[in-house]
Amino acid sequence: MSIDQNDKPEDLPTLGRALLWLDTKKNVDRIVYGLYIVCAILFTADFLYHKHVYLGVEEFPGFYALYGFFMCAALVISAKIMRLFLKRPEDYYAPYDVESEKYPEDQLERKTHDG
Amino acid sequence: MAETFPIAFLFFAGAAGLLALPKGHARAALLLAVPVVACLFVWSLPEGNLWTVRFFNLDLEFMRVDRLSRIFALIFTIAAFLGNLYAWHVRDTVQQLAALLYAGSAIGAVFAGDLITLFFYWEGTAITSVFLIWARRTEGAYHTGVRYLIVQVGSGVLLLAGAALFYRESGSIAFDKMTLGSIGTWLIFLAFGIKCAFPLLHNWLQDAYPAATVTGTVVLSAFTTKLAVYALARGFPGTEMLIYIGAVMTLFPIFFAVIENDLRRVLAYSLNNQLGFMVVGIGIGTELSLNGTAAHAFAHILYKALLFMSVGAVLFRTGTAKGSELGGLYKTMPLTMIFCVIGAASISAFPLFSGFISKSLILSAASHDGYYIVWAILLFASAGVFHHSGIKIPYFAFFAHDSGLRPKEAPLHMLLAMGLTAFLCVAIGVFPGPLYALLPFDVDYVPYTTTHVVTQLQLLFFSALAFTVLMRTGIYPPELKSVNLDTDWTYRRLMPVLIGSVSGVLSKVWAAQSNFTQTRIRAVIARLYHSHGPEGRMAQSWPTGSMVIWIAVLLGFTLIVNFLS
Repeated sequence: MSIDQNDKPEDLPTLGRALLWLDTKKNVDRIVYGLYIVCAILFTADFLYHKHVYLGVEEFPGFYALYGFFMCAALVISAKIMRLFLKRPEDYYAPYDVESEKYPEDQLERKTHDG
Repeated sequence: MAETFPIAFLFFAGAAGLLALPKGHARAALLLAVPVVACLFVWSLPEGNLWTVRFFNLDLEFMRVDRLSRIFALIFTIAAFLGNLYAWHVRDTVQQLAALLYAGSAIGAVFAGDLITLFFYWEGTAITSVFLIWARRTEGAYHTGVRYLIVQVGSGVLLLAGAALFYRESGSIAFDKMTLGSIGTWLIFLAFGIKCAFPLLHNWLQDAYPAATVTGTVVLSAFTTKLAVYALARGFPGTEMLIYIGAVMTLFPIFFAVIENDLRRVLAYSLNNQLGFMVVGIGIGTELSLNGTAAHAFAHILYKALLFMSVGAVLFRTGTAKGSELGGLYKTMPLTMIFCVIGAASISAFPLFSGFISKSLILSAASHDGYYIVWAILLFASAGVFHHSGIKIPYFAFFAHDSGLRPKEAPLHMLLAMGLTAFLCVAIGVFPGPLYALLPFDVDYVPYTTTHVVTQLQLLFFSALAFTVLMRTGIYPPELKSVNLDTDWTYRRLMPVLIGSVSGVLSKVWAAQSNFTQTRIRAVIARLYHSHGPEGRMAQSWPTGSMVIWIAVLLGFTLIVNFLS
């Protein structure tokens, strides 16, 4: 597989070329700011319509937003702590496991985009 | 009875026909034709018990058709078609046969109206599917396949034992709603639970699915576990314990999924999590929740297959499916990336995608029936599944740090299979009506309300926000080359070590003990020999007549006994 950090846009498929603007840090930042704005809008949306809910807790403004945010953060942090106990080298179960094996080449069709 | 026949036989006939055809496009075309024909048949079947065989005073029902079995059979034929289209390039007869027989067995099991027929097809799915793992033809895949087979066949043996006990208790082998209580029903429940990957019984799934071939995993993901969901929905609807089992099932896999490196194993964990939603639906047991289970199984088979297809395509082109090795593929595999994102949006239940209109039935059922804690767990699991399947899979495969890999776009037939599946995911999400019409009970549910859409978007976008914040602050755990211990550690490491050390100690104790006894016995013999042997001191004074005297005493004793009795 060729490693070229400076892709020539003309070699990429059309769709890939169109997506190339994701390659610059500035545009990624723009997406992130976009996400912040969408989140802010969604949060304020809670005050703008009448919620039809079954549970008392759902009526709390921004319940779903806060629940999603904090539970996900908790999920990642606890998973990170789990890793301290559970992580083992890749060949831990070898050779009784496919983890450290190479995928058999004859079943693949490895190709680079420029042939 | 004359005009119909078991749909499974169509697949078995197809498998026989496959061998008659030359390798190449003809076989691949047959693999596509069989599911299409089967789908048309399933669609047009009337309801009822259509094919009964009398066998030793037992009625074996091969074709019990009702709304529940029909929707599962229908999605199984669709999944078989999509999986075979994805595998168009495969020229391996073993895999082609396995795919057909496996799909046939799963469909046969869904239509089985009694426990004996169910058992045969149940074992059929186990034995045929293992070849999709062995087809990788490496040592690791061989061992993984053996582990998988032991678990699957074990589940079948439990089912048979349960069926036998159930027959003795009730005098019937009919496969209908059961109540937990007797040993027989518990064994059947356990058999279903193993195949459904209940917590602590789950690990065969994450162990085996990533070890299968590129196309094998796509096929595997559709049938076995959803067959178990069907069996639970048929046999144990409204069993309250299932609600809690299901809630735990949605919960713990998401933690493992966050730190898992092999993306196909991440998907196996999220498959487990999605099964949890279905199991909760079965446990609640209302019309709404059972509809939710059936709808979610239908939608899930499609988007899960789509995700496995897209990661499989990456594996096919790069030789790896590990998050630590991938990244930046969007430039050269943009279509695969887009299909992956559609699958991710569907599993995350974004509005307008299939997961949204199916999962919400189960969540609504949980909150309507007052299972608040379960509802909160399911909500957390929904956010979690978006986190690791919705974001992590596409992000680490196609974006993240640039791996420098510039693979070619997936081959045409894979793109077609992914495109078709993606189309179905979106179509179901946008027009839920046709799917709702297929469900076991009449549906009175509107998924697209303002409240529902807004709250769901809040949940998802703020989960994405959490991901972004954690990623940008560097807290998010990086993808590392590693394996994580799960319950399989107990039988792959702990048990062998325990058994090894116990047997080591026992054999030493045994050897010492027998050694000790032997030396003692030898010493006694030597001493006796020393004193009583021909050369011994005692032998010197032995009168020859002493033997005669002893015989006389013995005879005298016998005489007295004889006389007295």
